[in-house]
Amino acid sequence: MATTATLTLASADIAGDPVSVSKTATLTKAGSTNDLDQSIGLNRVHLRSTTQKTLLAANAEGDNLAAKVYIVNKSDDASLYITVAINAQTTGKLYGGDFMLIPWSQTDTSASIKVAATNWTSSTGDIPVEYALFHEDTDFLTNA
Amino acid sequence: MATTIASINITSTDLLSDSLSLSAIATLTQTGTNTGITMTTGLAKAKVTSTAKGTASGQVTLYTADDYAAIAYLFVKNLATTAGHKIYIYDDTTSGDPIQFQLDAGDFAFIPMHGDKTYKAYSPGGNDPHVEFMVLGQDQ
Repeated sequence: MATTATLTLASADIAGDPVSVSKTATLTKAGSTNDLDQSIGLNRVHLRSTTQKTLLAANAEGDNLAAKVYIVNKSDDASLYITVAINAQTTGKLYGGDFMLIPWSQTDTSASIKVAATNWTSSTGDIPVEYALFHEDTDFLTNA
Repeated sequence: MATTIASINITSTDLLSDSLSLSAIATLTQTGTNTGITMTTGLAKAKVTSTAKGTASGQVTLYTADDYAAIAYLFVKNLATTAGHKIYIYDDTTSGDPIQFQLDAGDFAFIPMHGDKTYKAYSPGGNDPHVEFMVLGQDQ
């Protein structure tokens, strides 16, 4: 049972020679080669809050468990962004089309992943956000 | 203007009862525009010899705050092959040096960063794993 993530970065003209980086990771449980075996599936929300909303709620007992979070801003508007914060620290800032994949350490219950559409207004329209969580032990992780 | 494409595919044939295939493609652009980024650090590799975030040496600086204008894209991968040989990435700008995430052997992360924080790496297990990293963005 394997779930893999492959990231490719490619440019023909950002440097003097072409750049082509491709990396694959097999998503495994913490400190082992056993595959992650649980997922919340691909979720979609429409963000219209300029203040932080909880996307994924942390449980401190998940501190030593593996979890990988994928988030993508599906807006077509390049100027509309969402901020992604963990423990009140802004970790990512995703403009329209941007995505991120990070391992998630639930150091305590403050480590919930929160998102905000900081420059959203009633005239910009909602920001569609898709996300997925791949993890071990569902007892310790709750989908907010 | 350069054109740089980031793409990701997350796949599994047996995690769920149906095949899983998530994919996204992003053209990396300067903040809030459709103009492509033009700068990169290139792909770098370093040994992480520090076992704590408070020690004076051995940590690897992945990105220095405000080196690039927002948004800067960080790719970082733990090249260790033994499970449990973790690399911790922490925010060296914020008080208390909060840990941002942990990379187990083989794990990678890709993050569009706000760009105003310095990120460093250490390895608490003392296994001296190698880290590979790259930042793409736009000069200030």
